[in-house]
Amino acid sequence: MIPTVDPLFVGDVLDLLTSPGDVSSVLIEGFAKASLYLMIASGLTLIFGLMDVINFAHGAFTMYGAYIAAGLMLGLVTASMGWATVMLVFLFVLVVVFALLAALGTIFEVTLVRKLYEYPPIYQILLTFGITITMEQFMRMIVEFRDINNGQWNLDWASPRRQTLPSELGDSELLFVEFTNLQLFEILLGVLTAVGIWAFLNRTRYGLFVRAGVEDEEMAKALGINVQRTFTVVFAVGSGIAGAAGVVLMWDPLWSVSVPLALDVLLPAFVIVIVGGLGSFKGTVVASLLVGMIDALGTWAFTTGVIEFTGLEELMIFSILVVMLILQPRGLFGVEGQGDHG
Amino acid sequence: MSADAAHQYEPDSWPVQYLQDHAIHIAVVLVFLAYPFAYDVLVDLFALTAEMILPEPDTMLMVFVLGLFAMSFDFVSGYTGYLSFGHAAFFGIGAYFVVLGYNGQLPIVPAEFPFLALLLLGAVVAALFALLVGLLAFRLSGVYFAMITLGITEIMYVISQHWDYLTPGNSDPATGTTAGGANLADFEPMIGIPFIDPLNANVHPGFGDTSILGIEFGDSVIVAYLLVGLLVLICYFLMQRIIHSPFGRVMIAIRENEERAKAIGYNVFYYKIGAFMIAAFFGAVAGALLIVIEGTASPDTTLFFLVTGFALVATIIGGLGTLAGPLFGYIFLESVNEFLTREASGGGLQPWLQEVLPESVLTATIGGITVDGAMDAFMTGHGEFYAGIIFVVFVLYVPVGMLGTLRLRLGSETVARSVSRRIGRLRADDTTGEVDTDPPAETETEAGADESD
Repeated sequence: MIPTVDPLFVGDVLDLLTSPGDVSSVLIEGFAKASLYLMIASGLTLIFGLMDVINFAHGAFTMYGAYIAAGLMLGLVTASMGWATVMLVFLFVLVVVFALLAALGTIFEVTLVRKLYEYPPIYQILLTFGITITMEQFMRMIVEFRDINNGQWNLDWASPRRQTLPSELGDSELLFVEFTNLQLFEILLGVLTAVGIWAFLNRTRYGLFVRAGVEDEEMAKALGINVQRTFTVVFAVGSGIAGAAGVVLMWDPLWSVSVPLALDVLLPAFVIVIVGGLGSFKGTVVASLLVGMIDALGTWAFTTGVIEFTGLEELMIFSILVVMLILQPRGLFGVEGQGDHG
Repeated sequence: MSADAAHQYEPDSWPVQYLQDHAIHIAVVLVFLAYPFAYDVLVDLFALTAEMILPEPDTMLMVFVLGLFAMSFDFVSGYTGYLSFGHAAFFGIGAYFVVLGYNGQLPIVPAEFPFLALLLLGAVVAALFALLVGLLAFRLSGVYFAMITLGITEIMYVISQHWDYLTPGNSDPATGTTAGGANLADFEPMIGIPFIDPLNANVHPGFGDTSILGIEFGDSVIVAYLLVGLLVLICYFLMQRIIHSPFGRVMIAIRENEERAKAIGYNVFYYKIGAFMIAAFFGAVAGALLIVIEGTASPDTTLFFLVTGFALVATIIGGLGTLAGPLFGYIFLESVNEFLTREASGGGLQPWLQEVLPESVLTATIGGITVDGAMDAFMTGHGEFYAGIIFVVFVLYVPVGMLGTLRLRLGSETVARSVSRRIGRLRADDTTGEVDTDPPAETETEAGADESD
């Protein structure tokens, strides 16, 4: 069905607004989704902000992160572990995946991306798009060969979630609000990501270089900053965050460990980065919240039967993109001229 | 000046000059024309070796369609510099228009409307849709333009996955819909001169006619190959004419320096929208032709982001900003794909190796798996993986693509023009024995320099 609005729509919304429990549930879900979106998109925005490189391989990094994490978790977690131990293992896996993907990102930057900085931006899109295809097909090959998920690369590989997600992260209720502890955990990780990147940009030496490079690359070079190495570090950090996002998506029931995850992640990430304004981290945070909340509202509308259209969330996300580009092409906090060329 | 010298400069009559100008086009068309027959002969002669290297006529049929789509993508992206990242929208409109029209689901259009009319109508609808999209999108440039076209197409993709109207009879819209309902053989796309029965042929491969104008080919695939090829050829020439018209010059000017084009006094907005509409028109024609071959339209084969993605890959391999390049890019891509498939679909590397290599090599084990098993796992059916690597190599080392490189080698002019001039020189040698009839080259090289990039 195309979106059909129930005549009782207004009444339903009133019901929602007058029920504090529902409102809080939607809000918590919105924040949890926003956290995931933030983790997905922030690597992309870091890389774009400094290097003007639209990294199409971003989604593939997340997908690899998810697969590696799933494999590690299945290997490390045993049924007898308590939930605290599982969480520790999870954090360990998060760090390992971050390091692995950062290393992979470094290799790509040094051997491939670096060659194309002088070219028009379209060539970086092309290169990273080629990397995506190759990475995706390579994972497909491995999945079929190792017979992971019965060799079905396009279906949700649910066993990492089923077998390793501690039941303590399941449903929970506080006062009259229903939520899952996993959502709280995701929100925590999202806040940590935001604070971590903020601290990286504002409290570290490389963050200073990054901001200087964004502001005026020529001047930064003239002042003796090794912009080349800064590029490498930022690409590595961005790739690492993309991989870490995959680790979290592995547990989330609304996402899945599958090869098409690469594209499923990439397109919303683009939307958030563009809506927030290319190269603005503040914009990315705000856009993640916006998209997360609207996504949660869409889910609520569907589950309560206000709107009977299964693709609603995706539809909303891309509608936000189009509307934003029509009204304010630079995004919420975008800088004039950024991304205009090519 | 003597009478002899005057005679020497006398121009050829225009048909001769025209043939000379299009020598390379004619040669390429002849090669394509002969291909399906040559394929049979070569396979007879060299058996599996030929089957391994050459793509099947079946595959070539698909190459024509996707190649036309990639050309239309290149028409706007390569010549105006605006990356039409949502080009699959037009492909999808063309494809779904034919299916829905054939199934009698379109509002005003009567059922049993001829295929060609549906194709044209769908293309016009796509062009009008492009007008709407263009009015919004051409206020932006660069990444933003690419993203808004992508966003609109993704919205269409999501809707097409869930919209029951597209699939009558309770089937899942995400799995697609078939022209002619349950029985694919009922679908009879006719290509030819409308309303004159003998000049029409049913081009549905596998079910259609096996003869054109009374000439028997014995294989419906060859009939489809020839007639679909003819349509693609017509589309190519229309686009080629537009590129070489004053309109096309302005498109190139926009790519090279939009500010300057504006300063000279061109209303670049109209030119960009015009180019976008033309590209949408031909993209939709390609979509309609896809239905001829596949018989079905599904969101994943028409409106999906990767449909545009692979058109982009083919365009880069063939040469961005060379109109014929994308077609050759697709031939290359599909050849790689077919090279790495199993015997059942056209022969490939593995069947060939299985025949050529001795049994002991095939069953030798490396790290726990046999050589044959390793080929199964890492080679066969994974053409896209190797195509991806080839694509990356192209972007890094051959950024202008195959035709683009050829063009640069020939001194920044289009390949067709260079060949034509060489032939002209040769003929001048034959008749006069002197080399002094180089045509006034200024305008040509100037124009050529614009086009090569």
